[in-house]
Amino acid sequence: MIERTRSIDIAARIILIVGVAFILAPLVIAFLTATLSYEQFVRNGGITLQVGTHFLDNLAYIWTETALPAQLWNSIVISTLVAAIKCAFAFTATFALVFFDNRLNRIVFGLTLVTVMLPLELVVITTYQIVANIAMPLNWILALTGLGEITGLGSDLRLSLLDTYVGVAAPIACASTSVFIYRQFFLSLPRDLPKAAAMDGAGPWRFMWDILLPLSWTPLVATFMFWFIGGWTQYLWPLVAASTPDAQPAVVGLARLATTEQDRIPEVPMLMTGALFVSFIPVLLIAVMQRQIVRGLNLSEK
Amino acid sequence: MQKGFYSGRWTYAALVAPILVLIFLFFYVPVGLAFFWSLFLERPFGGGSQFVGLDNFARVLSDAEFWDALKRTAIFMIVAPSLAIGISLMLALAADRGLRGSSAARNIIIWPKAVAGASIGVVFVFVFNPFLGIFAPLNEIWPGFWNPRIDGTDAFITIVVAQVWNGIPFNFIILLSGLQTIPDTVTKAAVMDGASPWRRVWDIQIPLLTPQLFLTFVLEFVGTVVEAFGLIDTMTEGGPGGATTLLIYKIYVDGFKAYDLSGAATQTVILMLFVLIMVALQFRLEKHVKYER
Repeated sequence: MIERTRSIDIAARIILIVGVAFILAPLVIAFLTATLSYEQFVRNGGITLQVGTHFLDNLAYIWTETALPAQLWNSIVISTLVAAIKCAFAFTATFALVFFDNRLNRIVFGLTLVTVMLPLELVVITTYQIVANIAMPLNWILALTGLGEITGLGSDLRLSLLDTYVGVAAPIACASTSVFIYRQFFLSLPRDLPKAAAMDGAGPWRFMWDILLPLSWTPLVATFMFWFIGGWTQYLWPLVAASTPDAQPAVVGLARLATTEQDRIPEVPMLMTGALFVSFIPVLLIAVMQRQIVRGLNLSEK
Repeated sequence: MQKGFYSGRWTYAALVAPILVLIFLFFYVPVGLAFFWSLFLERPFGGGSQFVGLDNFARVLSDAEFWDALKRTAIFMIVAPSLAIGISLMLALAADRGLRGSSAARNIIIWPKAVAGASIGVVFVFVFNPFLGIFAPLNEIWPGFWNPRIDGTDAFITIVVAQVWNGIPFNFIILLSGLQTIPDTVTKAAVMDGASPWRRVWDIQIPLLTPQLFLTFVLEFVGTVVEAFGLIDTMTEGGPGGATTLLIYKIYVDGFKAYDLSGAATQTVILMLFVLIMVALQFRLEKHVKYER
């Protein structure tokens, strides 16, 4: 199209530059500060554009003197668990919802829908109770039916998942947004696909594994990375579910470093190094894989 | 719903069981327990519960601190999403023009999605520090111009800015992909009628973006209620003088610091109902919006 677009293009360019500057500002400030030694920082007395030479020293300090490296590993495990559970469970369930003729479809879909509207953070108090003793529902059954007395189990079984990877990851994995994304995708597939598979002698399991799974690779990979990042950035739940530094993910570890040293002058360059240290994996992931993530989530569907 | 092809009941059960067990244990039981504890009082000195009817609600609703926290939550829920969505809309419209360098800009604008609120909170505390941060020079000219540690409004602003920073990427993705699905034919027809690019923003792009704008508002409303926690906990710890104590933070403090299980559960129930009512209201609003293309 040939038309005069000068004024709007200039405006668009200004908006983009200002927007990118706003996004980058805290990251750049964090990085510049992370390159300074504490003495340099105190001498500067604030934010300057000076690039120091101490970034590697600060990083070495974080690596050897804090719990952050171990907590980075915790983050990796927890986020992978969250993403794996969210993708796998939602995949099989959505397969059932779309390709099975069952009266329960509406109810199952409704039950997963509610989990999207009420985020975990709203109910941490009571989620903590159940994770502190996952046998609680079993105890109710034992007590109500009297089975506890008969079998001699009693009704006071205890099994705490606090401070474990599964205990931290499972409640985060409850929000079943994946079901919507997969459902949208499955519904866009040809409707006769399972019929064709049946003619070739493939049952539902075979169909799911050999046909549906390879077809769904794009949305599966995208959602996996998206939930990995989502698990990584969780804060409130891991904060209460993992009370020991050994079990905490990196984001919680960083916040503890920042808030427990209030009374003395904060070691700002170290904190900024830590903030970059706990953020680089997910940021790298989103920067490199952005196209796949955005396309796979199919956010553009109408 | 479309009629499925398969019919085996046991296979069906095996496929849906994992997710149902997961959300039963870690979602429905906690939600149910919250309602339970809102009607019961935990006996002090060990175990047991006592039915107290609506006493917990009466106690919470007569607490001025609760109403203050709810009011701040409501203000936060309006200010932060409006800013985040407004800015994202401008950025999406600008990025959609496909100028040179805009794909790099698009990539960078998404980065905050991968940074935890609690991590960027640590950075923003420093950025907004009255003596070391970006406003330090202004403070030297006008002493007391900016101090989020003492001034409640300043503290609230820092939380809003951090929340907007964190909230831009997701809205930006949704709005930009919405813009990209606007059919070429519509744009071309408008050009034929002599509509300038500025005119098309108002008369074509924004109206056709209504579904995405609606979606972002629903998601942001629910999101801001809970996402603010990481920012508050690392930036202000609810202060100064409770100026940044949103309900989600108050529930955490009541439940995990003051060990008031029933009080925290009651506020949880109220906040859940608040969120559900907000979502329901927005869906009612949606019915009055036309989506036809």
